[in-house]
Amino acid sequence: MSVETNIRFQSPPELSAFRDRLSSERRDDINRITICAGTGCVAKGSIRVFEKFTEAIESRQLDATVELKISGCHGFCENGPLVVMKPAGILYMEVRERDVDDIVEKTVTTGEIIERLLYKDPVSGERARNEDEIPFYKKQMRVVLRNIGKIDPNNIDDYIAVGGYSSLAKVLSGLQPEEVISMIERSGLRGRGGGGFPTGRKWRSCRNAPGDIHYVVCNGDEGDPGAFMDRSLMEGDPHSILEGMIIGAYAIGAEDGFVYVRMEYPLAIERLLNAIRDAEVYGLLGGNILGSGFDFRIRINRGGGAFVCGESTALMASLEGRAGEPRAKYIHTVEKGLWDKPTNLNNVETWANVPPIIERGPEWFSSLGTDGSKGTKVFSLVGKVKNTGLVEVPMGITLREILFDIGGGVKGTKKFKAVQTGGPSGGCLVVDVEEKGKKGAFNLIDLPVDFDRLTEVGSMMGSGGMIVMDEDDCMVDVAKYFLSFLKEESCGKCVPCREGIRHMLTILDRITNGEGSAEDLQLLEELAETIAEASLCALGTQAPNPILSTLNYFRSEYEAHIFEGKCPAGVCKQLVTYSISADNCTGCTLCAKNCPAGCISGEPKELHTLDSSTCIKCGICYDVCNFDAVIRR
Amino acid sequence: MEEKEASQVLVHLEVDGKSVSLAEGSTILDAAKLLGVQIPTLCYTPLVEPYAACRLCSVEVEYPRGGGKVVTACNYQVWDGIKVRTDTDKIRRIRGMIVEMLLARCPDIQVLKDLAEEYGIEKVRLEKQEEGCILCGLCVRVCAELVGAHAISFAGRGLDRRVATPYDKSSDACIACGACALVCPTKIIHVEDQEGREIIHEELSLGPSKAITLPFMQAVPNIPYIDTEHCIHFQTGECGYCAKICDRDAIDYELQEETIEVDVGNIIMATGFELFDPSVMGQYGYGRLKNVVTSLEFEHLNCAAGPTGGRILMTDGGEPSSVGIIHCVGSRDENYYKYCSRVCCMYALKYAHLIKEKTDADVYSFYIDMRCFGKGYEEFYHRLLEEGVQFIRGRAAEITDYAIDSDEEGKLIVLCEDTLIGALRRIPLDMVVLCSAMKSNEDAKELSRIFSCSLGSDGFFIEKHPKLAPVSTTSDGVFIAGGCQGPKDIPDTVAQGAAAAAEVLSLIDRKEVEVEAAIAVVDEDRCSGCKLCNTLCPYLAVKYDEEKGVSVVNEALCKGCGTCAAGCPSNAISARHFENRQIFAEIEGLL
Repeated sequence: MSVETNIRFQSPPELSAFRDRLSSERRDDINRITICAGTGCVAKGSIRVFEKFTEAIESRQLDATVELKISGCHGFCENGPLVVMKPAGILYMEVRERDVDDIVEKTVTTGEIIERLLYKDPVSGERARNEDEIPFYKKQMRVVLRNIGKIDPNNIDDYIAVGGYSSLAKVLSGLQPEEVISMIERSGLRGRGGGGFPTGRKWRSCRNAPGDIHYVVCNGDEGDPGAFMDRSLMEGDPHSILEGMIIGAYAIGAEDGFVYVRMEYPLAIERLLNAIRDAEVYGLLGGNILGSGFDFRIRINRGGGAFVCGESTALMASLEGRAGEPRAKYIHTVEKGLWDKPTNLNNVETWANVPPIIERGPEWFSSLGTDGSKGTKVFSLVGKVKNTGLVEVPMGITLREILFDIGGGVKGTKKFKAVQTGGPSGGCLVVDVEEKGKKGAFNLIDLPVDFDRLTEVGSMMGSGGMIVMDEDDCMVDVAKYFLSFLKEESCGKCVPCREGIRHMLTILDRITNGEGSAEDLQLLEELAETIAEASLCALGTQAPNPILSTLNYFRSEYEAHIFEGKCPAGVCKQLVTYSISADNCTGCTLCAKNCPAGCISGEPKELHTLDSSTCIKCGICYDVCNFDAVIRR
Repeated sequence: MEEKEASQVLVHLEVDGKSVSLAEGSTILDAAKLLGVQIPTLCYTPLVEPYAACRLCSVEVEYPRGGGKVVTACNYQVWDGIKVRTDTDKIRRIRGMIVEMLLARCPDIQVLKDLAEEYGIEKVRLEKQEEGCILCGLCVRVCAELVGAHAISFAGRGLDRRVATPYDKSSDACIACGACALVCPTKIIHVEDQEGREIIHEELSLGPSKAITLPFMQAVPNIPYIDTEHCIHFQTGECGYCAKICDRDAIDYELQEETIEVDVGNIIMATGFELFDPSVMGQYGYGRLKNVVTSLEFEHLNCAAGPTGGRILMTDGGEPSSVGIIHCVGSRDENYYKYCSRVCCMYALKYAHLIKEKTDADVYSFYIDMRCFGKGYEEFYHRLLEEGVQFIRGRAAEITDYAIDSDEEGKLIVLCEDTLIGALRRIPLDMVVLCSAMKSNEDAKELSRIFSCSLGSDGFFIEKHPKLAPVSTTSDGVFIAGGCQGPKDIPDTVAQGAAAAAEVLSLIDRKEVEVEAAIAVVDEDRCSGCKLCNTLCPYLAVKYDEEKGVSVVNEALCKGCGTCAAGCPSNAISARHFENRQIFAEIEGLL
């Protein structure tokens, strides 16, 4: 979508007049079909669906009455590709190419609703026509994600039409930098990248730091496994990030800004580049923004794929062209950051929170959330939960609400066991629904989720990853998984992180192989102390969290591995044996047919036997057996 | 080690309960040093910015407003009111675990073993590796920040991290300064040259081991100089460490050699001699075989202020059990210098005596003739015969390290003919000293041209008369003394120097110079200014006067030889008191 290149706003009123023109030109009598082009839906084929729609509309000559567009991620990735039909607001799910003709012929032409494409409540079986009726969306509060799914991320006019850049116009219509900082301070906004540092205070320190040149940086190096909040924001609403950065730069006194995006997000980079280009054409970015005399430029830098570059000092080193290694932050980056100049770095989500705060006022924002954590937080909900996807909830919501009301409960027949938050350096928390009360303080299903509560219980907010686990997940194995991720991603500069993580992993390997000893637990705790206290950057100091939190909440599992030689979840191969129950086996031969090692034998309709000496413990027989006849111990 | 501003703000803090005040911008490590509190470090050096990678200097800081944390002392800047604890149980646990981790990585590194002992680590409980490098980054940072060569860097990330040259190839960026090896706490960096020979930057190197050094021992004036060929600053423009630490601000990299013109009436040439470089005599293996040294290097080794403190040591640091001294290396040799260098026999005897005195080594002296003239010299020779020095009459033919039996294994073998017993011998030795010939300076020819004094066929300056004018030259006012006149020992040199000085003094004392009666004069009216005479004059006595446009004779220099008069194309020059008229009159008188 190209912009009108002859437009360049010389003042805030010109922008507002343009918005009025857009809304007056907006026709309410046409059908608007929005197809989600978030990464999840694209992976499920939404681009092909979009093309099919274009074809179908052209062939029926409906161009005049149907407007087709793409949008960012709606969050409900589990059920993609998603298609929204306006003005009725019908939400169709799992739309395939073959459904397109049906939709055009029925919904577009006659308004008939296609039942099979609507959301079906798994419990009641009732169909939901639009987002508001779906429980996944009901408990959410969309502040940061307000525009995503509604606007075309590649169209600046779309963003302006929904009120975009009005906060910037408000700021440049007479607010002093001090006033802007004060608003952010009063809002109580805290950094969404994981640290939770008060954003306003950071801005003030940076503004007050001596030096002519100041920089602002947007950290889009989202690297936590299973996390895609920042990605969806950059892909779905790039202008809100830019607007936040421009306001921040004005408040801090910066003329140059950088967005550091990981190379693995090509779509985010493309859309941000489009957004920057369009904003520059409109005079919302670049020299003399909105005729105010304020200059600010933004450049995109692509990260090379190192997780540690999400750490602010490593990110700045990488931006400067050096190896991405952190340095001590005893002198803060707001004083000496990029090229030793005062630099204000905020996460993508933090920047995107700025325009709503300016627009609706700090008091509105601080009314959301808890005492210490204001506003909302976007989580990527993944793992053994029915509704995986991107959710935005007010701070202080309980884990129970997130897991059940939004997440729809556990996927499959097993019980919830734990939730891992905060990315690889976060911790695992016990969530036990049925035995509520029995485990006392250990059961955290009703924990209000905010920065401080999560830290108190040994995990952290991190950037908002939330991985749900059930009984089939071995907590020692989970700790091992995160540790091996961190081992790969440690930059290797400081001794505790480089050497310590390796040793912790070796010990975990020992334990999951059934070779652990009581001393190993002691050694793990000793290593954890040194790594947590003495590492150079947060990657190191938080690296023991996966071990410490699982040791704290699931010590019995470690002990089962070490003292009983058992993996209670049946995950650690070395500790698991498979056998066939004489009582349940019907002799269906399914297991024998599927066994890749050929270790199961038996005549049809007779009891099968499993030769454990050649068994490779892949667990396929256990999964395929329909009669619970394969026993895993 | 940053220069501190003159107007310093002081901050006050406590380290282990002791109060201390120091400048803003200082680190906890600075404060601890001031108080004498020990904090261990591995990746720290004052030469470059702190890096805080080893984390061994972790200490606990308590903030004045309450709370606190573990920080690294090397880069944590002090501020008012903080309380630092360097030796709590927690800190000892952390440091102990760090040492244990490093020792698991590098089990054979001495500095880690020492630290392990200090922190009571008896057994390493962690999985061991066989590394040597602890990745402290000192070498990388010194190479980049101080030397400015950027020849090595970290490669790989995390567990793959290692120190490497670009693409693991030998790189032109390396200037072989050895700074990396010097700062390495584990001592696992070795500097090798292109042929794989080890370059020793340690004390046992016989040459100057640093780029800023005294010219030679007991030099006058005793002021260091910078060897610009090896100084890092002159190669990369960086470093400058000597200037940084010199309290007197005496280091000036901009100083250049300058030429000073002085008007004098007399000149004594005492330009000395050079030592023959024996590496051209391939048979002796100098420069190729370890522990084959020249007499001057051996002197260096013997010097109490020298690199070994006067101990006679081999390159491996051990004491030799046998030493050979070869006389007449390059001298009394048809292929190099036919003359005798005069001093070698006596200093060789001195060396033999010193070796006997300082070590238990057997000494072998390979000579052609013992030339022990002079007072007390012959007696000294006899004394050494009694001390048990083995004198072998015969020129050594070859030095080799090719052993033919087990006795010779790892030794230097000297092959020679012992003419007194009439047998060929192979003598295995630990060290061989070559008594190199004294030879004239390379620039002697140039000097002889400038000063109009002749050189002999041996390259040394010739005196005016060997018996009657031994320190004069054919140029008046130019005298010679010492090694530039011919090989001689110290007493002879001192005597000759004194004689030359006396000659000069007698001329100065007279306050006037006797000139020759018959000297050339220029008839300025006839001189065309062709300057032919200027080039003809063997004594450089005729110069062209730019103002007058004619040639002028310097009466003090003119010897009245008549060459200019004979060569003048316009008959403008004549010899005073030796004019044609006078010659014809003399002839007439005779006839």
